Amino acid sequence: MSLKVGIDFGTSNSGVAVYDGQHVRLLPVDPKNVLPEVIKTVLYITRDYRCYVGQEAVETYYRDNVNRQRRYVKQWAGEIDVYGADMHYVRDIYVYVDELQPGRLLQYLKTALRRDGYQGTKIFERFFSVGDLAKIYLAMLKRRAESVLGEPIQAVTLGRPVKFSESPELDLKAQETLRQAALEAGFKHVDFELEPIAAALDYEQTLTKPQNAIIFDFGGGTLDIAVMRLGDPRQREVYASGGVDIAGSDFDRTIIEKRMLPHFGDGQVKHHPEIAEMVHAVPDWMALPELGTPVNRNILEKAIQAKIAPVRLKALEGLIYNDLAFTFYNRVEAAKIALSDAGATIINMEDKDIALWELYTRHQFESDIQHYVADVEKVLLDTVARSGLEPGQIDAVVKTGGSSNIPLFTAMLARLFGQGKVKASNAFSSVVAGLAIKAGR
Amino acid sequence: MSFHNKIDEWIQEAEARPESALTIVKLIAKRLRELTERNEALLAENIALENGTRVDEYRKRIAHLEYQLDLLKRRFNADEEDLRVDVAARTGETSTTTSLLVYNARGKFFRVELSDEISEIGQIQGGLSVEMEPPRFLAVPSNGEVLLLFSSGRVSTYAVSNLPRAEAGGAWTWEQASMPDEPRAGETLSCVAPIDALPLSDFFLQVSRRGYVKKTMTSMVQSILSNHYLGKGAMQKSDQPFDLTLTRKTDRFALVTYEGHLLGLDVDDLSYTVEGRIRLTATDYVVGSFLMRPDESLLCVTQAGKVVVREQKEIEISKSPLAKGQPLIPPSRLGQGVRFMGAVAARDADKIAVLDAEGRIRLHIAESMRGAGTVEAQGLVLSIGRIPSEGGRP
Repeated sequence: MSLKVGIDFGTSNSGVAVYDGQHVRLLPVDPKNVLPEVIKTVLYITRDYRCYVGQEAVETYYRDNVNRQRRYVKQWAGEIDVYGADMHYVRDIYVYVDELQPGRLLQYLKTALRRDGYQGTKIFERFFSVGDLAKIYLAMLKRRAESVLGEPIQAVTLGRPVKFSESPELDLKAQETLRQAALEAGFKHVDFELEPIAAALDYEQTLTKPQNAIIFDFGGGTLDIAVMRLGDPRQREVYASGGVDIAGSDFDRTIIEKRMLPHFGDGQVKHHPEIAEMVHAVPDWMALPELGTPVNRNILEKAIQAKIAPVRLKALEGLIYNDLAFTFYNRVEAAKIALSDAGATIINMEDKDIALWELYTRHQFESDIQHYVADVEKVLLDTVARSGLEPGQIDAVVKTGGSSNIPLFTAMLARLFGQGKVKASNAFSSVVAGLAIKAGR
Repeated sequence: MSFHNKIDEWIQEAEARPESALTIVKLIAKRLRELTERNEALLAENIALENGTRVDEYRKRIAHLEYQLDLLKRRFNADEEDLRVDVAARTGETSTTTSLLVYNARGKFFRVELSDEISEIGQIQGGLSVEMEPPRFLAVPSNGEVLLLFSSGRVSTYAVSNLPRAEAGGAWTWEQASMPDEPRAGETLSCVAPIDALPLSDFFLQVSRRGYVKKTMTSMVQSILSNHYLGKGAMQKSDQPFDLTLTRKTDRFALVTYEGHLLGLDVDDLSYTVEGRIRLTATDYVVGSFLMRPDESLLCVTQAGKVVVREQKEIEISKSPLAKGQPLIPPSRLGQGVRFMGAVAARDADKIAVLDAEGRIRLHIAESMRGAGTVEAQGLVLSIGRIPSEGGRP
């Protein structure tokens, strides 16, 4: 009998589960993680093309990179044609490459799937398409799951957001890229299920009578909503589904923009335009690692010597050149998560040349992300309206995904549908559990 | 956003959720404590700067660097102007000869400039016997500098080029020898070590006759030289320094004893205090100590001229504080009176200087010594020394 599993390929975290017809078993695919059933969607590829995923990727990255030496060499990158009024010439383009870089850490692989125009990335001498990266990650996940189960896995049900992208072409392309990656990773059969519907399947296990439910799947990359009739598998029906590209990573970015950039002088010091550009690139997780060039270092050093906000610029230099970007984003994310329970927390980072300390309260966080609440509420109400149900006809609102724990959104759901109707499910496992149920049936 | 605005936001949080007030106060109190500690450290640093202790520390460091620069200049025959041009470019152009120093415990030196053709260094007439401390050898660049370590722990430096040259192949008596630094009353010259590699080394490693080992950081060289004192590196009254070597943290070191015990040591594991590392019998003592490099073999020579060879991989690194070492002489031979007179680590192309009881000093190729398993000598062998081939370390 061929073994089928469910895989939740999430923006921040992933998971694998198997269903035996009665029980869902979440597989401990990341033994190094605090929750071994949850694996970070992070891939680290070394210079000799060894690959690591999850916590192991993070640890290897830290071990190899933080405060390491750098040596830049000028490398020919291509040529450009320059056309003038009556002339045309070709110019060579060179880039500075850090030849001591031991590896590349890649995160938000799922977001890359739906990015318009993003084909992939060159890692040292080899080009990796988005599909290649997803393939490597899924193949490693498959191997780990097989070693836990002790038998080969033939088929998989993969979760997918309601909308990878607003554009139907990009949406289809992202799904097909993911399907191809899963096939290349070694799965013989691949099918998909919408993530909120998967969460609904998990929730359905707890029901004794049919009801109308909203699945509010709010994760790291997208918000997915499904309005469904649940409780009786024969009468299960999806009335409407919807989604929007707002989620945890947007909140992290907002926190950085509003609270952390002043530590690098933004809004406090009048920076040189090139330095201001560097500061504004800090919230962008893809742009920050690219800032570490000798030219930028020279600009920063000159400004530091000229005593233009030297402490703030030294901190920026430390962040860029000591490979602290990943740590920085993690600290911000950890603070955001902490505010789901506490009223105040600290975003703290101390390393060579960098000492950031920011007391951050839930009030500040809620005022920072207030503009997203209106968008989320609009999408939610639109989806409910399309379902043909009135808010009063909704029996339960099931929230899942890390961002669904943010009190501001819980309060919004309670305000719209009533406090008693908001049900919490396991933020990190309900989708994968539902996918396993779908795969097992 | 100004700091006042932030405080207003914190107050708003406390007003909205009173339970947050306690968390905010705790977090601010913790921060305050951290800042107070940091402020204290900065004030202490400020005091150190104001009262000059930090200045003294930096002065010492500068003096140390100046001394190392001076050594490098001598090493490369460069004056300051040349150094500014390009030290690195000169290294390839400078051709320096190698001098073989032959010295005894009374501080007397002969210096012979070596060339490829020389195989007979010379003959020392008189003043040699098996009972006495035999003369020792050191091959150094002729423009180098050496450190003299005396049995009292006193040290002094001397430029090799300042020693008068003796003609190779001649017959010498100790009366003709030069004495760069006369031992003081009750003192003997224990060993001479080249210090050209000082800027590239981490430690001075001292070994005593009875197998005590001590390492001293080379960053202290300025105070060592200004005080003319490194220390004996020995604990027992009857013990005295045997050898001094410049090492790096990652080096491996070995010593060989008269009764044929070999001990390998990891430099990084060694203590900064004097520490006994090998358990010796009452009649045993160290006759050879050296750094172990992967391309070198260990050559031990008995008094009869027999050569015992060990490859690097055969040498075990001892971790225990008082080890017996690996026996190189079988008990039966030991019973017959076989003893080592010296031991060196050498590459095949290196030469080995051998002094026999007749006072003759001859050079032998290490590879032929390995092959023959014996070394030709007039009577008993008294002492041996290594002369590195071109490109080899000193």
